[in-house]
Amino acid sequence: MSAAEHRDLIPWYHPKKLLISFRRSPPLVAFALSALLFLITILINPKGLNNRFIGSLILLTTLLAISSAGQTIVLIGGGMDFSVGAVMSAAAIIATYTMDKQDSVLIYVQVLALSLLMGAVVGLLNGFFVVKIGLPAMIVTMAVSNIITRLQYVFTSGSPAGWAGQKFVDSIIYRFFDLIPSIVIYALLFVPVVFWILNRSRFGKQVYMVGNNRQAAYLTGVRVNWVIIMTYVISGMMSAFAGILGAGYKATARVDIFGEYAFTSLVAVIVGGTTFSGGVGTYTGTIAGALLMTVLSNLLTTLGLPQTMRDILNGVIIILLLMLYNRSKAVRQ
Amino acid sequence: MNTLTQSVKKFRRTPAFTGFVLFTIALVMNILMQGINSGTPLAFFKPAFYGSMLMTNAPFILTTMAQSLLLIVGLFDISIGIQLALVNVICIMVPQELGLPIWAGWLAAMGANLLVSAAFGACSSLLRLPAMLVGYAFTFIIKGVNVSIMSKPQGKVPKEVYLPYQTLIGGVLPVALLVIVAIFLMWLLIKRRPLGKHLYAVGGNPRNAYAAGISPVKVQMQANLLKGFIVGVGGICLTLMNASGNPLQAEDYGLRSLIACILGGMGFGGWGSMACGVFGASFFVLIQNAVYYFFSYLSKVITGFAVSTYWQNLVSDVILLLGLLVTIITAREQRKTLKEGLFNQFKGGEARVSR
Repeated sequence: MSAAEHRDLIPWYHPKKLLISFRRSPPLVAFALSALLFLITILINPKGLNNRFIGSLILLTTLLAISSAGQTIVLIGGGMDFSVGAVMSAAAIIATYTMDKQDSVLIYVQVLALSLLMGAVVGLLNGFFVVKIGLPAMIVTMAVSNIITRLQYVFTSGSPAGWAGQKFVDSIIYRFFDLIPSIVIYALLFVPVVFWILNRSRFGKQVYMVGNNRQAAYLTGVRVNWVIIMTYVISGMMSAFAGILGAGYKATARVDIFGEYAFTSLVAVIVGGTTFSGGVGTYTGTIAGALLMTVLSNLLTTLGLPQTMRDILNGVIIILLLMLYNRSKAVRQ
Repeated sequence: MNTLTQSVKKFRRTPAFTGFVLFTIALVMNILMQGINSGTPLAFFKPAFYGSMLMTNAPFILTTMAQSLLLIVGLFDISIGIQLALVNVICIMVPQELGLPIWAGWLAAMGANLLVSAAFGACSSLLRLPAMLVGYAFTFIIKGVNVSIMSKPQGKVPKEVYLPYQTLIGGVLPVALLVIVAIFLMWLLIKRRPLGKHLYAVGGNPRNAYAAGISPVKVQMQANLLKGFIVGVGGICLTLMNASGNPLQAEDYGLRSLIACILGGMGFGGWGSMACGVFGASFFVLIQNAVYYFFSYLSKVITGFAVSTYWQNLVSDVILLLGLLVTIITAREQRKTLKEGLFNQFKGGEARVSR
């Protein structure tokens, strides 16, 4: 091999190519933007760079990444799950109500079983309606999510329901070395599962296929409807799991406490390079998107602007992020 | 075949049929529940009642009509609810803070909302960003603008301005209904003009429309501006109804109007009409009313029966989901029509001749 040929194989000899491949990789862009925004945050407020700040950044990113996992799978399968926020809130309420300041393995098992069951049932409803009604997934899951929220009101009469057990709360917010929050342990258990589902399992391949081309997937023998329903079931269960962790983080839960996660998770997933059209996307991207959204929200807090300016800036930045690489093809092409 | 059955059959194939069925069911339920509850069977037909119902819900119905216009060109805007609040805030603040006449406030509000709609159109059509997330971002931006213009609910509208809106012409005809009818007539007019055809062409398939010499961006921008105008009218109605300003109201109209459109039989792009929006929104309103009367009747009949509004909301939302389920049956004819239409296209019109 000549020296020139050898050089061709090394990416950093071709900065232009490197730039192109960088721009084509949304996770990389999202990570880079996160780093940039983080730097800006530090430059604005150097005193803010302490263990507490970084710890809370990790905690919130982990929570958002976990709650966006289901959304990622559903979007890759060509659907959309709007009930993430409602399911998370419902699971949080189940958790705090069942625990009621107590800690024991039995109660943990109860909470886990009840919440996951609830998530699975909601997911099953979502999936069934999406497949059977044949209406856009967004509308159907939105209608189901409204009902979940109403049920929370009926169940709690609108007031906060119970408290999470102290030990459970500590298992989320305790800081190792005074820096890394203990929620990371849950993430270490959870994230490999998502990667396994999407990249290693047969089901994951089928989800990509269904999202890419439903007809072709059907013709190759994939049970398309079953796969779609399962994406919603998995999404519901993952959201429920995220809701339990969220209950530990907030220590108490009220109606619709995580309602905003319906949209934040969606934005995180989209910013991470998963597309609305389905068939494209990675969980790495979603983690990058979650980091970006958390850093952004931290930056807006650090700027110390009034709420109105924060809102406006938040909206403008989301549009700029979308403009960067989430544009659909031109009609002319 | 006589003309009546023929026109009924024709109606069954229009997109608005789904919405019409739901609307009729809700209307009958509402009339029954209200009749049973109040003891007078025809309580619904009192002008004072339906007048006030139309007046309070006209902003929502108009918003849904605007949303349906966007859906025809394949877009949707979930910030449409907070845009109502923007119009409301400017309507109140321009006369109050700048001392200008009220009509100037209305004009400014309309202008501002047309600007917002143009910006939305620029983001979603020109830059081709996903409409849903643009709507989400716009909700933040408009909310921020609203609160910076008006920090807390305040202001009032002179009585001689809002009273005409709240009256019944000749004691039977609510002004709010006239506004809705006027906007609907405007739509019928547009539908007959080339723009109407272009809206459907672009919504159905932008690439084909482009190949046929229609600019999708231009048509989508026009749809956005029309939407902005209708929402502006809705915002003015909201101002006249409340006679005060609130920067954060009506945000949920964005998502609700979208569900109402789908209930009314709209599709995402090229399918449905503004009638779908009207029927869908009316279904929404009537069901909530009917559920309210049903529960207040139960609490009258059964002693000790008392439920919170939370239960009422739950039941209404469950009925809305059932409404979506009903579209499986009611939309069957239309889906068939749609498929036949596609078939005709492929056959180059031959099939239509032989049928």
